[in-house]
Amino acid sequence: MSSSTTCPFGTRRTRRWIPWLSVAVPSLGWLVFGLYPSLATVYYSFTTYSGLPGTPMTFCGLCNYRDMFTSNYSQLSQAVVTTLEYVGGVTVLQIGLGLGLALLLQRRRFGYGLYRALIFMPQVFSVTIVGVLFSLLLDPSSGPAEAVYHSVIGGYSSFLGDSNLAIWLIVLVNVWMFSGYTMLVYIAGLRRIPPEVYEAASLDGAGAIRRFWKITWPLLAPSTTVNVFLTVMGSLGEYALILVLTQGQYHTQTLGMFMFNTAFGVNPDLGLGSMLAMVQFVLTAVIGGVLLWALRRREVSL
Amino acid sequence: MTTTQTARLLRDTPVRTDAQRAARRRWLIRGLRLSGVQLLCFAVSAGLFALPLVYLLLQAFKTYPSFLKDPTGLPHPWTLSNFSAAWSQGDFGTEMVNSLLYAVVPDVLTLILGVFLAFPISRGWFRRSNLLYGFFVFSGFLPAGLIPLFGEAQKLGLYDNQVGYLILTSLTGAGFFFFVGYIKTIPRELDEAAAMDGCGYFRFVFTIILPQMKPALATFAIFGFVASWNNLILPLIMLSDSTLWPVTRGLYGFFGEHTTQWPLIAAATVIVAAPILVVFAVLQRHLVEGVAGGAATGSAGVGNAPAAAVAAEE
Repeated sequence: MSSSTTCPFGTRRTRRWIPWLSVAVPSLGWLVFGLYPSLATVYYSFTTYSGLPGTPMTFCGLCNYRDMFTSNYSQLSQAVVTTLEYVGGVTVLQIGLGLGLALLLQRRRFGYGLYRALIFMPQVFSVTIVGVLFSLLLDPSSGPAEAVYHSVIGGYSSFLGDSNLAIWLIVLVNVWMFSGYTMLVYIAGLRRIPPEVYEAASLDGAGAIRRFWKITWPLLAPSTTVNVFLTVMGSLGEYALILVLTQGQYHTQTLGMFMFNTAFGVNPDLGLGSMLAMVQFVLTAVIGGVLLWALRRREVSL
Repeated sequence: MTTTQTARLLRDTPVRTDAQRAARRRWLIRGLRLSGVQLLCFAVSAGLFALPLVYLLLQAFKTYPSFLKDPTGLPHPWTLSNFSAAWSQGDFGTEMVNSLLYAVVPDVLTLILGVFLAFPISRGWFRRSNLLYGFFVFSGFLPAGLIPLFGEAQKLGLYDNQVGYLILTSLTGAGFFFFVGYIKTIPRELDEAAAMDGCGYFRFVFTIILPQMKPALATFAIFGFVASWNNLILPLIMLSDSTLWPVTRGLYGFFGEHTTQWPLIAAATVIVAAPILVVFAVLQRHLVEGVAGGAATGSAGVGNAPAAAVAAEE
């Protein structure tokens, strides 16, 4: 940069203050409503505080951590397991479905724009709309899923009320909602692969399946990195959808849901909730870090 | 002469050789396969992604007794009464206005504040601009601050009031990551020329920089609008007075209140979904291109997940 890195605007006197003035208001807002709450979570997690007006906030050291890792440990470990099931299920299915849809719809052909738009559409709806929609479809007494289940498999299922099934159904709803996004990222990736590569491979006699594994999949590595990272991080923090569908009942209490129910449920406990937010933070940081490292390594090696 | 030969003579197209016939057959097979693919694409996109919504729409036209008699069939008779009932019982009119307010005001303010924050940093006017940038990015990886934000809102008197909610959502200062990179593509010479001509800083940002950033701002604004409109958690925590609720919160409450009255709930859901569906239909191209063009950075800022911004930047 050859040109000056000082602000050229204003008079000699105001010049020095203009940049500071410019960032002052947004930074202040960010400090008060962004940074402070984030850091305060750490302090809150060392306190007992119901959040109800007139109740005190008392510092209690590691009390929340001690409680959670001893007497309530089974609840915590269950939440972590549920979270991992949820994240794993969503990631595998959404990457698979997103890639499949992208391979199907990558070309510029008649009608494909509409198909892509329809697949992307659920994403613009609020979790409330999607949650209500699937509560209707999966209603155990009057939904179409019940009718299909009864006639195909036989017997009855309570779907979202079934502790073995509920979390996986929510996984499917999440995939339904967001696979359009994964698809679009993959389509952008597919279109960046030069067609000559495929032509050369065809001349060498490589079949469609070989071409996919030897060319498409390795060359899509950057798109896969973005998709896997976004999907894992997004589903790790997800609880709004679960809130609408089951409110965390029937073994669907992920860490986020547990945090929300603890902090804002019937017996609100902001201290304990913040402690769970800290657990969530550590889990996210560890998984995110490992993931970025692994995906990078994979990109290089391919 | 047989009739087929006559027909062939009368036709304008030349008689085909075997090679041409083979080519035609290949073309036909390809055409058939193409229409097969078309059919598959249509079946997947319409059947898996649109049909659930059509099903929901159909339920909204059923009377409650007929729903009970035949829950999965077509409406018989068709009725519009669910829509009027849902509209009056759910107070969705007020909630739409609230939603619009909660989506537009933070969206516009975030954009403007984001540009004012990003501009000096991307121009490198501070001694440690890069460090500052890194710090803002890093802060996105800190623990979620939802719970202390709730406590803070109560202490500052922002809890359960409209202005308070707008302040909370407008000042979180996102969007900025996306802008820093974009502003770098606007030549510095423009700043210097404008300053030489005596253009003031604020006027410069509003009349030169903001218009230059139109494509970026448009994408960001759309994603931001959708994200704010759809937010359920924040209104759930911050607004207890039902007259202040946005539609997403309102529908959530309505759903809880009328649990098994599916035709009524379906009608309410259709009412709530309609505006965003219209927005989607109109701006669909922008949204789709936004994702492909890395606008993930933009949406991530509003959705409080700057991690995504970083991932997409790489």
